[in-house]
Amino acid sequence: MQTHKTGFISSCKAFVRDPFRMFGIVSVVVLLLLTIAPAKDYLSEWHGYQRQYLNFIRNRGDAITLRRHFVGGIHQIWIPQLDVVDRCETCHVGLTEASLADVKEQPFRAHPVMPHKLTEFGCVICHRGQGAATTVNEAHHSKMAGEEPILPARYMESSCGQCHQGPLEGTPKLNRGRVMLSRYGCVSCHSISLPDGTKLEATDNPPPLSHIADKTTREWIYAWLKDPTSYSPSATMPNFGLSDADASDISAFLIANSVPQPGDQIALPAQGHGPEPDPAAGASLYGESFCASCHATQNAAGNLVGGDLGPELTNVGTKVKPEWLLGWMRDPQKYDPSTPMPQYRWTDAQLKVIAGYVQSKSNPDLLANVHLAPATRAQIAHGKQLVTEYGCASCHEIRGVPKPDNFGPNLSRIGSKPVVQLVFLPDMEHSLPAYLTQKIREPRSFGSTFRMPRYNFTPSQVEAVTTALLSLTDRSYSLPLSLQVPGMRETKYQPAGQAGQIMTNLNCLSCHRINGHGGDMAPDLSWEGSSVQRQWLDEFLKNPNTLRPALIRRMPKFNLTDAERTTLTDYMMTVYQTSSFQRDEMPLTGYTPEQIEKGRQLFYSKYACQSCHMVNPNEDKGYIGPTLTKVGARLNAAWIFHYLKDPQAMRPGTIEPNQHMSDDDARALTAFLMAQKTGAGQGAK
Amino acid sequence: MTPPKDFTATVGSDMRVSQRRVLFVTRRTSPQVKTYDEERVQTFPEVLIRALLAIECMVIALVLMSLLFNAPLEGIANPTNTPNPAKAPWYFLGLQEMLHYFPPVVAGVLIPGLLIIALIVIPYFDINIEAEGLFLKNRQQRLRLSMIVAGALTIFLWFFDVYVALAPTVFVAALLVLAAFSTPESPSRFRRYLALRPISWWIMTWFLIELFVLTAVGTYFRGPGWSWVWPWRS
Amino acid sequence: MPSTIETYFDKLERTRMWRSIFRSGRGSSTLHNALAIQQNVFLHLFPTKVRKRMVGLEATWYLGTLTLGTFIILVVTGVLLMLYYHPSVPQAYSDVKDLQFVVSSGLFLRNLHRWSAHAMVFLAFAHMFRVFYRGAYRAPREFNWVVGVVLLLVTLLLSYTGYLLPWDQLAYWAITVGTNISSAVPLIGDKIHFLLLGGNQVNANALLRFYVLHCVILPLTAVLFLAVHFWRIRKDGGLYVRESEPGTAGAQPQPASEERKKL
Repeated sequence: MQTHKTGFISSCKAFVRDPFRMFGIVSVVVLLLLTIAPAKDYLSEWHGYQRQYLNFIRNRGDAITLRRHFVGGIHQIWIPQLDVVDRCETCHVGLTEASLADVKEQPFRAHPVMPHKLTEFGCVICHRGQGAATTVNEAHHSKMAGEEPILPARYMESSCGQCHQGPLEGTPKLNRGRVMLSRYGCVSCHSISLPDGTKLEATDNPPPLSHIADKTTREWIYAWLKDPTSYSPSATMPNFGLSDADASDISAFLIANSVPQPGDQIALPAQGHGPEPDPAAGASLYGESFCASCHATQNAAGNLVGGDLGPELTNVGTKVKPEWLLGWMRDPQKYDPSTPMPQYRWTDAQLKVIAGYVQSKSNPDLLANVHLAPATRAQIAHGKQLVTEYGCASCHEIRGVPKPDNFGPNLSRIGSKPVVQLVFLPDMEHSLPAYLTQKIREPRSFGSTFRMPRYNFTPSQVEAVTTALLSLTDRSYSLPLSLQVPGMRETKYQPAGQAGQIMTNLNCLSCHRINGHGGDMAPDLSWEGSSVQRQWLDEFLKNPNTLRPALIRRMPKFNLTDAERTTLTDYMMTVYQTSSFQRDEMPLTGYTPEQIEKGRQLFYSKYACQSCHMVNPNEDKGYIGPTLTKVGARLNAAWIFHYLKDPQAMRPGTIEPNQHMSDDDARALTAFLMAQKTGAGQGAK
Repeated sequence: MTPPKDFTATVGSDMRVSQRRVLFVTRRTSPQVKTYDEERVQTFPEVLIRALLAIECMVIALVLMSLLFNAPLEGIANPTNTPNPAKAPWYFLGLQEMLHYFPPVVAGVLIPGLLIIALIVIPYFDINIEAEGLFLKNRQQRLRLSMIVAGALTIFLWFFDVYVALAPTVFVAALLVLAAFSTPESPSRFRRYLALRPISWWIMTWFLIELFVLTAVGTYFRGPGWSWVWPWRS
Repeated sequence: MPSTIETYFDKLERTRMWRSIFRSGRGSSTLHNALAIQQNVFLHLFPTKVRKRMVGLEATWYLGTLTLGTFIILVVTGVLLMLYYHPSVPQAYSDVKDLQFVVSSGLFLRNLHRWSAHAMVFLAFAHMFRVFYRGAYRAPREFNWVVGVVLLLVTLLLSYTGYLLPWDQLAYWAITVGTNISSAVPLIGDKIHFLLLGGNQVNANALLRFYVLHCVILPLTAVLFLAVHFWRIRKDGGLYVRESEPGTAGAQPQPASEERKKL
């Protein structure tokens, strides 16, 4: 046994020492290794997924179809002009199999219905990630310079925004985020330009602070600076997290820096203290003037009711000085030339009532605990320094403090910022969306020296803003121009002449849009002259009554003088016309009963217009569209005809369906509608 | 059957009786002539097979490594985004480390240039050929000289804050002192070994350790802004 | 079984074609073995006989052989990689990505090339230090040492030029850092920098330049100097052996006359 063992070892040694035998064996090993080296390919992930897929479909009812569709190997979508090489389909085998739509197991679920063809855009343009990769980690999670990880599904709308610069129906989150970027003044500090060269403009109308002492007190400014939401939950002003001393110094500076503006304040009536409190008359005038179209107030349940174009008025009495409020109500543009608030032509008596009513909306508790010592010179100087440091002048006009340029970093391409260039907090997901979310939610969590203020956003608002920021990618610049869908371009249109002055004074463009400029609260007036009858317009301006009674927002009554009204009506009828047809090409009256009857039939049967519109208020139940009971006295016949022919051409974006009517049908319907002059349902059964 | 002879000497047909061929053998021309001979093996197949065997073993190692570890590949080159730190390949990290201490003209041009020249002239210096222990002759004088050189180098490196290169220098200097106080008859094997090292050995060893330390430091211990980092901390 | 293989070999060696290719003829005598080296254009660079004590692993560690081995691997894998590679921006990078993701065994090829390149640099250094500590640079081998130094530099340049080719961040900045050093050369630094890169910064021109250097100029230079290097081993008296060193079994220095007597 012993000898045998020794013999074995020595023969092993001899074997190892014999280079020829060793050579033979090692050569075999080398050859074997080189043979199995391609197995590295076979063991690759995508092979595994394809095998898994075949197993997965084997037991399904549609196995044969799916098996027939399956082709092994690497698949790719190659679109050279978009720089797309997407091999996602190699693992996501069932991407185009409609029957796999409800599969839980990824990567085999079919893609949900989408507005673009897979073969035209590939995957990466929307989902990000590295399309060329064929391993999960590289394709989904690679964060190396120039490579983006997969975009979480909740931010997917941002990808639409790379091409579509305007609002889209399917992307509410993106639309909301984009509006917020302007609405909350983000773009006042961070400049954001779009691939077509336009720059996003702020829409938050921050008030000028040069005459602030006319308007309010240092105590209110202090409380507001400390926490804007305590005064108004809907404040667009962010919280700068100021210390008591800093807030006190800034308020001291703003008051000391303020100069009185003649006309800002009106001496109060001699009798009584301040405007007359007359709750009943005040509330009624407040309602009649439709203040709630723009201003919100908190109701008893704590919900905000009203529009958001102007500031919330719940506690405004605590803020403004009564004599300033009177001046403001009489002529807002005196204090702030760029205010969207119209100049109501209230009489002195009305002014007193409305100002008194507004002044009564107050909450004395707000300032109960604010006691500020008189400001010293050092405090004022320090306040000015703080105002400069925090970039207050980026939004507000402040006397003696110039508006800083590019106060915050430019965000035009923030959506493509490489992860490697970001600094993350400990315990934070290392991704761009997570970074943006945290930066919006708690900007100072990245360091107390950061100047960015904190907004009081809900999680869904944060997500919307993040989505909008993520849409600002490098790719949106590199995509072919033909793919770019520009948004509605805001023009610089201003109405001219005497009528123009009145319109500016009334701030019509705060709500109405004309020639590509203005708000979206009220109808576009660009073609108003072609659309309505002169007499109706004149009447409407004298006493506006709504066409859609269900709406809270309504056109207020401005108490125009006859001369003003005539000027306005003439101007609108003359200037705001469409070039696509002649206003007077069809008569307003004189249609034959046959025509009217034919129109009636078309209205009630062929086109079933009554499902949305009302002609006979006693019978029809259509509430979706405007009521048509007096349409014959309101609209122009030619306008009705052309509108029926192609509604979207006359009012872009209207939900009125295009029925592709023949000229005869449209003419008959026009005759029928033009007969509706008194609201009695003429010609209707 | 007798084994065939390796060579058969015959008289060539072109030989003429009147002429003699004389071969002059000098010391420094090829083939080298030695006063003694020793056992030799045929290159084919004995040496060749071993060489192939060695290469094959290496191929196995490299193939296994290639199957197990993927070569690094980062994002596409982006001139606007400088990684921090931007490192050269590992074999140049010693130089890059020097670049951190000295101006580019010294670290990038002078040092590598001198190194190449030094490497080239090594065989042409008789000092290398002696191959005698450094301190076996003129011990006092040589010790003084080598201490002066080592001291000057230390002060120089200290002055430029090159602590990374200073450590190996001090280490080699310490060994030098140990060698100076050792003889080929020392009881310790290590000291006997040191005592027999010639000057060229000392210089090359110093260079080798410097190269190794600088490369290792550049590879593992340098972070953003070429600052010192501990590799196990990140 | 072995006898059948030997028969086949025997038959093969008798064929006219075999004989026309290998001039050494049949047989395994010393003469034949010597002829196998001498009559082969590649092998004739090497000596026909090697001292027995230099054959063992401990004498040379086969470092030179292994360096040559890595070079051969690099040539083979390099040529295969060239089939998939365009030296242009940004195609170069996507080619490397494609190698990684879609080319059959592409990742393996690139890995092997990369690791072998590192191995070659390391082995070349190791070979140099080994030769130095053995003292094998001494006369008459001085020039072969110089050739070796040149080969080391060529190896470094080969590795360095190859470093840029994937055109990734690693490559770009390594080359930027490296070539910026050349600007430090007094007087002509900027010119050298420009010449190296074909421009003032690392861009498509530099990539093309490095590609040509890496795939044509430097490999040819390496082959040239390798040939000289091997040839000189033979001409300088074979692998160096230290006279003071005791030989392996039975190889004690013996007077030449005695050796001859034995035969």
